[in-house]
Amino acid sequence: MTKRIAFHIFLWGTLFSAVLFLWLTWDTHHQVAALSHADTLSAEVIAGKRAFEKYNCNDCHTILGFGGYYAPDLTKVVKRLGAEGVRYRIQSPDKAFAASPRKMPVQGISVAELDHLVAFFSWVGEIDNGDWPPQDSPARLSRAALRLTAGAGLSPGAAVFQTKGCMNCHALHGAGGDTGPALDTIGRDLPLEELEHYIRDPKSVDPAAEMPAQSQLTDRELEAVAAFLASLK
Amino acid sequence: MKYQTQKIAYWYFVAALPLFVLQVVVGLWLAVNYTFTVPQAVVNVFSFATARAFHTNLLVLWMLLGFMGGTYYIVPEETESEIFSPALAYVQLIALLVTGVTALIGFLFGWTQGRPLLEIPRQLDFVVVIGAIIFLFNVGMTMIRANRWTAIQGTLLGGLLFLALLYLFGMPFYNNEVIDWYYWWWVIHLWVEGAWELVTAAIFAFILMKMTGVDRQVVEKWLYVEIGLFMFTGIVGTGHHYYWIGAPSYWLWFGGIFSALEPLPIILMLLDTMHHVKKRQKAILNPLTWTYAVGCAIFHLIGAGVFGFAHTLPQINYYTHGSQITVSHGHLAFFGAYALLNLTIFYFAMPQIKGIAVYDDRRGRIGFWTMTIAMIVMGLTFGVAGVLQTYIERVLGMGYMTAQSYMRLWMGVTLVAGIFFLGGLLFTVKDLLSLRPARIPERTTYQKPPSFS
Repeated sequence: MTKRIAFHIFLWGTLFSAVLFLWLTWDTHHQVAALSHADTLSAEVIAGKRAFEKYNCNDCHTILGFGGYYAPDLTKVVKRLGAEGVRYRIQSPDKAFAASPRKMPVQGISVAELDHLVAFFSWVGEIDNGDWPPQDSPARLSRAALRLTAGAGLSPGAAVFQTKGCMNCHALHGAGGDTGPALDTIGRDLPLEELEHYIRDPKSVDPAAEMPAQSQLTDRELEAVAAFLASLK
Repeated sequence: MKYQTQKIAYWYFVAALPLFVLQVVVGLWLAVNYTFTVPQAVVNVFSFATARAFHTNLLVLWMLLGFMGGTYYIVPEETESEIFSPALAYVQLIALLVTGVTALIGFLFGWTQGRPLLEIPRQLDFVVVIGAIIFLFNVGMTMIRANRWTAIQGTLLGGLLFLALLYLFGMPFYNNEVIDWYYWWWVIHLWVEGAWELVTAAIFAFILMKMTGVDRQVVEKWLYVEIGLFMFTGIVGTGHHYYWIGAPSYWLWFGGIFSALEPLPIILMLLDTMHHVKKRQKAILNPLTWTYAVGCAIFHLIGAGVFGFAHTLPQINYYTHGSQITVSHGHLAFFGAYALLNLTIFYFAMPQIKGIAVYDDRRGRIGFWTMTIAMIVMGLTFGVAGVLQTYIERVLGMGYMTAQSYMRLWMGVTLVAGIFFLGGLLFTVKDLLSLRPARIPERTTYQKPPSFS
């Protein structure tokens, strides 16, 4: 091989890849509007993106999988925690993560910015991005839940408990988060009916409760998980 | 050193070294954050996010200083002329340092663009761009004035120009988060798997040629094939970052196939290094510089090639994307490809600038082996933490913090390895800043035995 041939390998290799890449970029621009629902990109969502950048959230959290790996991914955070759960954690991280080994800074975020951030996260959560991340994928996690119930003879409530994020804050037999209390014997403290109310809206049972309302659970999931917790004595 | 203006490089290298040390110190603090519970009061003032911005921006800053210094060292020899304006080169060094330090202090007070790796506020971005234009003007004018073109300097200039152009795509505010990430990768990916590879290949070819005495025509022929493959695989290979961002699904195919080929040019780089060693025309005077060059070629392949390939296919990346697996790859790749390349040019150029033909490399040797071994350990411990995270959080579907609790031990081991790395780095920096000639034992000159004819 002569140096001249080598030069042509460089020239045509680069040009081919560059032209293909630019063409795909052009096509991507045409498709992104539909994939990201750009028609719902309101002024509020854009203000939320600015707030997200202002507080440098992205150097601890990932979004769409990019950023810091120090804190949970925010792509589907509104679906995972509910809007109230998101608000509570941003507004009072010192309380929300009081028992957690990992803290989030208190930044004095205004109520308006809070609304914008929630709007931004809700918008990002709707992006058609190939069902990523797996841990928030309803399709994958309901399969995981089915496996759990089928395989280990667990109650459906236990499956809900494991797959709907309860263990982000609460622990069972030493596994799980420690933001909230461990629930090993919660059935001794609260009867079934109170548990249902508590999960639906904690403040209705205990006005000082810090747990966010679990509005994302369906009625069936709520009943199942309450029954499971009531059985822990 | 043949040209007076090559001395400019020395000050770029001297500026880069303390920034490298600071980057590693902040890195240790990040590992502390993962291993221990940092009190809320500290987190409120100096969050993980701020520290991470320090860690990554310091990396970019010291490496760019190294590349620029390397350029100022190589260009006079390649063009056989002095740098167009040494004064501009020093102005640009000071401007870049002042901008960098201002940005870092700004981070402490929340002055940030708030996008990972591109945290430098937009106002300062303009200063960076002006600095880049001065640099390119200075280097370009030197080449034009000399009018002696070689493939090595062409690749170098092309890489630097490409690098500067791509930076512009990171500056606007994008309304749409998907488009934002699309162009964010034009800076990040096309830098490290495009422009930086061009600069690296050029610097590496120069050092190989000078150290082995292998013919320029042969070195430059390999260089063309390597950069051709880097560009061919790397440009469309950007698509391996577009799998899960809301871009069209054909990126799974284009990104997967092209990025799977990305190790090829790196393998070629290792092969041609080995080839040149075999065919060398000169004795290797400084074995440590040589250890660095070969170490760079091998580590580049492991960190960027093997660890990158390991999770570039969409089927795997679905589970590993945005986990500590990425961190493992990131550390091994940046250290293997770019930190070692910078240290290779430091160890090649700094003795020559000081007029030392053969330097004492005992301290430097300790530095090299401590750093490389510590970094391999860190790559593995990050990797173990990443596998745990992937399995517990993404396969079993347990909570984020549940997975993190199992990873904590491994982040602690990373912290210990990181302390060793810092030790090795301090040895290296001390050594580079106080290079001294080796005491060569008296050698009896080789005499031909008398013949019996």
